[in-house]
This record gives sequence, structure tokens and C-alpha cells, in this order.
Amino acid sequence: MGERIGVYICHCGTNIAGKVRVSEVRDYVATLKDVVVARDYLFMCSDPGQELIEKDIPEHRLTRVVVASCSPRMHEITFRGAVKRGGLNPFRSFHMVCIREHCSWVTQDEDEATAKAKDLIRAAVNRVRFHKPLETVEYPVNPNVLIVGGGIAGMQAALDVAKAGYKAYLVERQPTIGGHMLQFDKTFPTLDCASCIGTPKMVSVAQSPNIELLTYSEVEEVSGFIGNYRVRVRKKARYVKPECTGCGECSNVCPIARPNEWDERLGQRKAIYRSFPQAVPVTFVIEKKDRGPCVQACPAGTNVQGYVALIGQGKNQEALRLIMEKLPLPGTLGRICPAPCEKVCRRGDLDEPLAIRELKRYAADQVDWENLPVPAIEPKKQRVAIVGSGPAGLSAAYFLALEGYRVTIFEALPVAGGMLRVGIPDYRLPPEVLEREIGYLRRLGVEIKLDSPIGAGHTLDDLFEEGYQAVYLATGAHRSAKLGIPGEETTGVIPATSFLKEVNLGSRPQIGPEVVVIGGGNVAVDAARSAMRLGASSVSILYRRTRAEMPAYPEEIEAAIEEGVRLEFLVAPVEVIAQDGKVKGLRCVRMELGEPDATGRRRPVPIPGSEFQVKADTVISAIGQVPDTRFLEGIKGLQVSGRGTVVVDPVTYETTKKGVFAGGDLVTGPATAVEAVAAGREAAISIHRYLRGLDLREGRPSKPSGQNWSEVSPEIPRRPRAKAITLPPDKRKDFSEVNLGLPREDASAEAQRCVSCGVCSECMECVSVCKAKAIDHKMEDEVVELEVGSIIVATGYDLMDPTPMTQFGYGKYPNVFTSLEFERLNNATGPTGGKILMRDQNGAFTRPPESVAILHCIGSRDVNYHEYCSRVCCMYALKFAHLIKDKLGHETQVYNFYIDLRCFGKGYEEFLKRVQDEGVMMIRGKAARVTDEALDDSEKGKLIVVAEDTLLGKLLRVPVDMVILCAAMEKRKDAEQVARTFGISIGRDGFFLEEHPKLEPVSTATSGVFIAGACQGPKDIPDTVAQAKAAASEALALSSYGRVSVSPTIAEIDPYICVGCQVCRGLCAYSAIEFDETRNVSVVNEAVCKGCGSCAAHCPSGAAKVKHFTDKQLFAEIDGLLERLRFGEAA
Amino acid sequence: MAEFEPVIVAFVCNWCTFTAADLAGTSRLLHPPNVRLIRVMCSGMVDPKYVLKAFLEGADGVLIGGCWPGDCHYINGNLKARRRVALLKEILRRFGFEEDRLWLRWIAASEGNVFAETIKEMVEKIKALGPSQVRQKLVA
Repeated sequence: MGERIGVYICHCGTNIAGKVRVSEVRDYVATLKDVVVARDYLFMCSDPGQELIEKDIPEHRLTRVVVASCSPRMHEITFRGAVKRGGLNPFRSFHMVCIREHCSWVTQDEDEATAKAKDLIRAAVNRVRFHKPLETVEYPVNPNVLIVGGGIAGMQAALDVAKAGYKAYLVERQPTIGGHMLQFDKTFPTLDCASCIGTPKMVSVAQSPNIELLTYSEVEEVSGFIGNYRVRVRKKARYVKPECTGCGECSNVCPIARPNEWDERLGQRKAIYRSFPQAVPVTFVIEKKDRGPCVQACPAGTNVQGYVALIGQGKNQEALRLIMEKLPLPGTLGRICPAPCEKVCRRGDLDEPLAIRELKRYAADQVDWENLPVPAIEPKKQRVAIVGSGPAGLSAAYFLALEGYRVTIFEALPVAGGMLRVGIPDYRLPPEVLEREIGYLRRLGVEIKLDSPIGAGHTLDDLFEEGYQAVYLATGAHRSAKLGIPGEETTGVIPATSFLKEVNLGSRPQIGPEVVVIGGGNVAVDAARSAMRLGASSVSILYRRTRAEMPAYPEEIEAAIEEGVRLEFLVAPVEVIAQDGKVKGLRCVRMELGEPDATGRRRPVPIPGSEFQVKADTVISAIGQVPDTRFLEGIKGLQVSGRGTVVVDPVTYETTKKGVFAGGDLVTGPATAVEAVAAGREAAISIHRYLRGLDLREGRPSKPSGQNWSEVSPEIPRRPRAKAITLPPDKRKDFSEVNLGLPREDASAEAQRCVSCGVCSECMECVSVCKAKAIDHKMEDEVVELEVGSIIVATGYDLMDPTPMTQFGYGKYPNVFTSLEFERLNNATGPTGGKILMRDQNGAFTRPPESVAILHCIGSRDVNYHEYCSRVCCMYALKFAHLIKDKLGHETQVYNFYIDLRCFGKGYEEFLKRVQDEGVMMIRGKAARVTDEALDDSEKGKLIVVAEDTLLGKLLRVPVDMVILCAAMEKRKDAEQVARTFGISIGRDGFFLEEHPKLEPVSTATSGVFIAGACQGPKDIPDTVAQAKAAASEALALSSYGRVSVSPTIAEIDPYICVGCQVCRGLCAYSAIEFDETRNVSVVNEAVCKGCGSCAAHCPSGAAKVKHFTDKQLFAEIDGLLERLRFGEAA
Repeated sequence: MAEFEPVIVAFVCNWCTFTAADLAGTSRLLHPPNVRLIRVMCSGMVDPKYVLKAFLEGADGVLIGGCWPGDCHYINGNLKARRRVALLKEILRRFGFEEDRLWLRWIAASEGNVFAETIKEMVEKIKALGPSQVRQKLVA
């Protein structure tokens, strides 16, 4: 049977007909094969236009219809309806061509437009004959509505949805709902207070049983389609549970101050905060980023930022408590720690790193250790033996004692402290300091047995027999490494460890006047400085590399030089020269630096023939230490490595013998005290778990990571690092301490230099004052999935930052404010409690201004920034003028610099009249610049607004105290990303694009997604609320109708062609293709398929196709488009 | 002889480039009339044989317009299009078509201006290449 096709061409008024010669196209189309009717009409979409089609179908027995008009995205559904009413299947018998958006509107030349229209219609006529009948599918609509953005638009939409009896999810990114409107003081033109009309809305939202509020949350992903959306929302960790009563005690004790965003950074808030007292929900929130680099760098994991913050507040005891959560010897480490935290301190990016070690020491030295409170400990029966009382042993003992275990330390020496006591000279670490901290351990119940070596007489195995259920080995590395040169055994050659041990134990070893120390580490420097103190006339350190490679701390090297120690670099000893069995000197060789070795340091290489002699009465060798594991000889099952260290599991510190753990230098070889302390703590955790029968590995190792830190503002004033007081070099004759610590007045100021990388410092002060027990620092983000039928996006606007427009002096002069800042100055909950005050150079508020200039159109109506008008500025500028007069008195001068006044709304013009009557000066002319360069005395100390009064044609200079910039409303910074998430288009102004500027003001390119409020464009509160109600009404229409038609254009696989290769299944992004084993073919699941056509485009056998986009249809369309090329214009 | 006016067939995704073309229209962004749009639901739906068909019927250029990576309405159809185009270019070259006659462009729904600019640019480039070998035979 032959086809009978009708073609209908729309003039669209002059939109199409103005460029496309419609009658010519009609006559041409009439000549095409099977076209029996070709008509044109003024408005095909109108009622008579549609009727034309409906009537023609039966009259002319049409089988197919083509409409050429606007974009099918606009009216495809309209004409499908007409075709259906005419009695034909709307898919089989209809195709639509766009000759407006794609043709008449974008083509300059009439001939070209007409030719293009002919091509397009010919292709459609070709295509439509291959269309197949399809039926639209209806799906149920989920009646729930998601509203994104909790400003006035979002709140209103949510309330309307809830009022209709449907569920509304309101997602807000900020910790409180309210939006910009709640930042305002009064609203124009009625001057009602924004809070008075806004907070009741907030409360209603919170109280409505139909609204589920998700604050501090963001939508991450949207999937599905109209009526059936799935939305993934990330609820950011608030660290405060809903039990919070909003009392604010936490905020009072929080040591971290941050700029207050709600107050436009005019004031400060704490790390734990609430935007404003009427916030909804009332729950506080903690701003927390990744743990600071200092915390991450500390081997012991000490909460550096936390204790520094507390010291900054003078809370030394609290600081000490926090340190001692991870570190039992704060005063000790505060003196000798290599402070890896300081090397990564981000304050160093600004000026100098914080003196963290000195601060720790300061805190430890401020408290009364005798009376330091001992925490409540629940005693346990089990006994643990610790061998060695160095930092590792003491640390393990401390943490085990805190857990309630009965801990005994066995120490071979007559004093406790290990290397801390006998390796580090007293002038660096006075024994009293160590003693007071060990004393505290004793108060925790730790028993220390001195002169009690474990070894041949009293073995490791004996300890278990004596009732100890676990043993921790931490005997350190006390044996000096050998020099390995001839003459090493000569009298007068002393290993540094023995030398320092003797010194530290109070005996004064015999040394000659000429002392040579070999080595470059801290031990070498310690030995050299000690030798000086013992009265040597000359002490020199020989080191085989250069100063840059010396492992000793730079400040130690510096102090040694101050005290008269000489340093010789690139020198190595070759032989000890003896005379009468005593040291007489050293034969040395000069070195040079070669290739880098395994440690990354350049390897020293001897220079041949460079040998020379050094005079020496005493040689102290300090080239390293090794552990002494002889005490473990004969112990079964305990493995010792070839390096002489005890082998342990790197995570749990278990040795190869059950119940025996080890750590510190005994395991690692010589390392730092802080690493030993960290190892001791880990071992304590393991021993605790071991004794309780728990998994030793679970959750370990746990180290904080990440680099999402607070920004270090370049505006922070530079301040040098505080310096500790030191004993002058000429006073350093005995072993009294050289470093005397930070002066009291410097310590807290130094702590306040911290840039708070992690924002919240986790000092836990808030936890200790929260009576509701609402604070949970371990809280994590939560991801929830919502199912909704429609979505309303009401994400609002950003105020333009006027800083780049340097002519207005924003950011340079303290009394140039943005409009939003001025709103906060006016607001009773703002930084000034509602007083309009000026700022001094430091940002402190001082006195009210005597004159104010309000500058309109800053960034709006400006081709350099935004061409559009921000629509609200004229009116709020008038409101500001009124408020200034009202609050500061009539004598305060107010100048409005405007281009045009746009007072278009209800009561707006009347408000202008009122403000003018109040004596506000209106100057027609955009301000050119703001300057503080005075030309005469009347301008001194003022901000001078330079503008042309265009009505007088005169250049003006107006001196004022304060300038308010009416900055443009602009799209949110992340509008593009939000648009992508929700499938919304963006207009040229950057705001979200409505589907039609007049008729579809809240619909978007994606069905079921609506927009409301300032995210669509600048608008005032009444318009925003109206639009919100419109969006709610669209969403509710879907919810209440309950069904939605979905296009039937999905994929199908012809089972007679399919060979069962299943390639399509791997391609399908929706897993919509199943495999029928019995028939050996792939089958489309129609409920899941979305019709993307990935399968159809790839199917090797051509079995898969998408309905309405089949090969035949597409080929016919291509043929039609290109026919002219084959057959020439006459075709 | 009149100046060579290339004919370009564009397979455009309904959700982005087709909508961008609509936006170019509503914004009255004039561009050359040489392009004929064929609306598809996704760039991933464009079977290589459609492209070959268009060339064999005399098209001087073919444009495939899809959503930006990550923005595909159907999750990742655009990435499939990208792979196909890479292979197609290989084939086209072997058949004596310059590979620059086939363009794949990401044009978001909001990028009406990008659509208009792309068309202008493409028409210019194809003009420089001259008529395709098939077109030359058809005209002759």
C-alpha cells in the first residue's frame, strides 16, 4: 500500500517566515514522493493549526505526518497529540523538523535558509515512512520532593510541599538553613526585620513532620528520571550530635578562632560554632580538616596543634594532659626531641616555624609535678615486666600502668632513664627533669628495680616463672661501635658511651688537655662539650664529611662552637699513635665527597697521600652504638638479627617468642627518644591486647594523613619565632642546664603564631565542658540515598567580590564595605551587635561614621564584569540610607551614587520618595573611584568618592567616613558543577537557565528538575518566594497526578539475528541486558533500559537496535539530507 | 564556478549538542547553513556505519556532538563514541578520506556559543580541505 504523507510548515509568525520562503518550501515539498498534502500556517502549534492536521488525516487518508516548525524539544509532544487525535500512532506516523532554532534564527541569507529548510524537510519525509508504531509507557511517580538549598526559596518550597501532604527533603550545604535573607537586617520596602519574618519559616521547616532536614549536607549524585530519581547525599560530619542543646559552653572554651563566614568575615568565630544564635538546627558544628602536618610528623602522634592551642590560652596543665595522652616524658622530650614537627610546620611558609619543642617544654615546666593529678585507674591483676628504663621502657610502662597493669621495670644501672640519663649530658637534660617525670610514673604504680640486670643470673624465662605474663625488652643500644683502626685499644681511647655514662653518673673521668672526638652525631657533640666542661684545654671534633651532612642538631653544633669546640671536616682517623702505652696522637687522612650512598649523603673518599698527624691525649670515639644482646644468650625462640637487633613484627612489636615484645634502640639500632616512646606505646597496646586475648593487628598501624588543611592567609602579620633564653657561653663551666626555656611572656604569644592547619585542634576542651555529651570527634561523613519524584534546585547566589575593582579600594581601606558586610553591621546578631561603626586599621570597630556614600552598580551593568542589572541594589541602597539616618541621626550625611534608579515593585517608588524626603543625597553618576588622597584639609582622614554628577555635568569629590559597595549578585562559584549534577543548563549570565524565559520560568532542560530563587537570576525576596511557590506547584503536580509518561524509544534485540556474543552486555551502563541461556540470545530488560543505544551502535550482527532510531530510519534521513548532492538542486 | 560550499552532517546528542543548537538559535547566534543536524539520543548511539553512509552519500564532513566526559546523560555513552571515532578515523584514512573530515566535539547544553563557533570553525576547515572524493565524483 502506498504512503500518503502530509507536511505542515509553520511560519511561527515571522520567526520562520521572515527568513525561510515558506510558500516556496511548501510547493517544493508537495513535489516529493508520496506527499499528498503540503500546507503552511501562521502558527501551527495554535488550536487552528493543530486542527488542520487532525482534519486532514481522515480527509486525505494520511498515513504519515511531518511538521516543520520550532525545535522538537519545544512542541514534539504537542504535535504527537494532534496526530493521535487524528487517529494515527504518534510515533509511527509523525516526525518533526526544526526550521526555526536550527535554520531561520541562525542563518543570515534568505536563499540559504530556504534551501536548508527544504533539505531538512526532505530528510524527514524520507525518514517518517520507516517509523514503527510505539506506545508511550507510564511510570508511577514517587511523590517525595527533594529541595536543594535552604534559603528563603528552598524553605518556602519545602513548606508548600509539606503542606500538600507530601514528603520534602531539604538539603542545605551550610550548618544552618536561612540563607542570605537571614544575614540581612531589614527588608525593603516595608522595613520588616528579616529575622522576624525569616526565623519563623526556619522553625516551621524544622517542626514540620513532612520535612526531613539535611543540613551540612551536599548532593553528590543524581540518577534516574522524572518521577523516579535516586539522589545520593553526603551528610558531612558535624562532630556534634543532635543531643546538643545549643548552650554554647563549648564555643567559650574552644581555643581556635576563625573568620566568621556568616558575618562576612568581619568578626571571628570558634572552630566549634553556630552561624548565629537562631540557627536551625541549633546544633553546633566543628570545622575540622585533616590533622596538621605537625601531628602527622610526630612519631609518637602527639596532638601538637592541640597542646599548642591550649598553651596559647595559658592552659598549661590541660596542654600537658593532652601531650601525655601520647607522650609520657614531656619535659624530657621538650628538651632533646629532634622535633620533626617543626620541620613541616606551615607557619614556616609565612615566616618561621613555631618553636614547638620549646612550647612543650614550657608546658611541662609550668606544672607542679608533685601534685599533678593521677587519673582514675582500674587496677588489673596481670603483671608485666619491662627490661630497661629508657624512653621505650618508660613509655610502655606508662601506658600499661594507665590500663591498670602491675608493671615492674628491671634496670641494670643504678639510675633509671637509660640513655636519657646516662647518654645525654646534664647540661642538656638535667636529671631532676627526668626524675620528676619518672616520679610521676611511680605515682601511677610503676615499680622500678635498679641494679637489676636481666641476663645470666636472672633470665628472661625466670621472669615468666616469677608470674609476669608479658615481658617488654627495651635495653637500648649502649655499646659503642669500634673505630676499626690500629691502636684502638690504647689507653686514652674511650668509647663515647662509656665516657658520657661516667660523666652522667657523677664521676669525672680522667682526660688529657688535648681531646679529639671522632664522629658527627649528637653523641660526638655531647662528648666534646662535656670534655670542655671537664677542663680540657682543647677539644676538636673530627668528622669525615662536611657540616651539612652532620647528623647532630644544628643548635648543638652552634653551642659547641660557642663553647670553644673546634670542628674539623673531611678528616678520618687512620691510626692511633701511642707512646708508652698511652695515646699521643692520631694519624688522619683528608677526605673528599664522592657519589651519594644508600642514605643519600655523599660518600667520603680518602684523598691519597693526604695523611697528617693530630696531637691528642684523649680520643673519644663516637661513631655510633649497637644494641647489646648478650643478655639474651641461651633464650630459646627469640630471634636476633645479623645486625644484633631483636627481630619483631613491625606493627605489633611481638618478638618471635610468645609473650615477649621488644622496642626502642634494641630493635631499630640507635634512633631518637621520641621514636622509642612511640614504640613503647605501640608495644603497650599490643601487650594490653595480648593479655585480653584480642586481635593484635586490628586497626593498626593508624597514622593520620591527608593535606586538606586550612589556608595560611598571606595577610597574617609576620612575627619572628620566639627564642629560648640560654646561658651565656662564658658561664657554661659546669653541667648546669644551658637552655633555660621560653620566657613566660613569650610562650603564649609563640603558641598563638600557630596557623591551625587542622582548624579544630582536638584539644578536647569542648568535650570536657559539654554536659549533654553531644560532642563526638570521631564522627564520620554519612552518605544517604533518597528516592524522590522531582527536585527543586534553589541554591541562591554569591555576592561578587569587589577586590579586583581596585579603584573602589575594597580590601585596602578598612571602611569600604560590601553591601552584605553592611547588612551584618546592621544586624543585632552581627559583629557590632547592630551598631553601624567604622573600623580602624586593625579591623577593630570604633565609632559611628558622620557621612556615608553608597555606590550603586558595582560589577552590575558593567561590560567589564556583568552586563545584567542585579535588580535589588537600588532598593537595598535606599534601605541602607534610611537605616543610617534612622540609627545615626539626621545629621549623618548619606550620598547615593546611582546610574538609574529602578524602583519597579509594589511600594518601591513610594519608598524612594520617603527616603528622599528624609534628606538622603541622590547623585546621578556612577562613582569612578574611592581614594584617601586628600587635596585639602576638608578631605584629610576621609575617603573621597570621585564621581561625575551627570545631571549637573560636574566632577565631584565627596569626602565621607564610610563607603558601601552595592556589589553584583552573581552565580554561585560552583554553579557549573551543580548544573551538571542536576542536568540544568546555564545561561550566558552564568545563572541557571529556565526552559522558557516567559512560559516555563521554573522548569529546566531535565524533566522533573525545577529551579527557584536567585540561582535562576538576581531577584528580590518577593520574587524569590513567588518562584519557589511556582516550583513547588510544578513538583506537586507530578506528586499528585502520580504518573508520568516515558518515551518508548528503548533498545530491542532481534532474537532471530542475535548470535549470543554478549558484547552488548558489557557495554550496557545500566546492566539492562540479560542473557537467555536456552535460546542463546541477549534480551533487553525494558524496565531498566534507558535507550542510549550503546548496544545498537556496536552489535556486530545488527540484532540490537533502538526503537525510533533504527538503521533504516537513520539511513533514510541521511539519504534525504544528501539527496541534493546526488541529483542536483532539481531533486 | 561558485565557491565550494561543504555539506556537513552532524549527529548530535539530544541532551547536549542538540539543545546547544537550540540555544544558539534562541540566542540568534548566526552560523553557516552548511550543517544538517540528525538528532540522536546519545553520541554513543552513533553507529560507525552512519558516519560511513554520510561520507558515501557525499557529505564533506561529519560532526558528532556529545556531552562532556563525566556529563553523559547515559553515564558513559560519550566515551564509547570517543573510542569509535578513534577507530573510524583510522578506517577513513585507509579509504582515502582525510581524517579531519570527522569531528567529535563535546558541547554542553549551555554552550550555544560553542556550538555556533564549532560550526563556523568546521565549515572553514572543510572548505580548506575541499570537496570530499565522493562529492567530487557525484558532481562530475
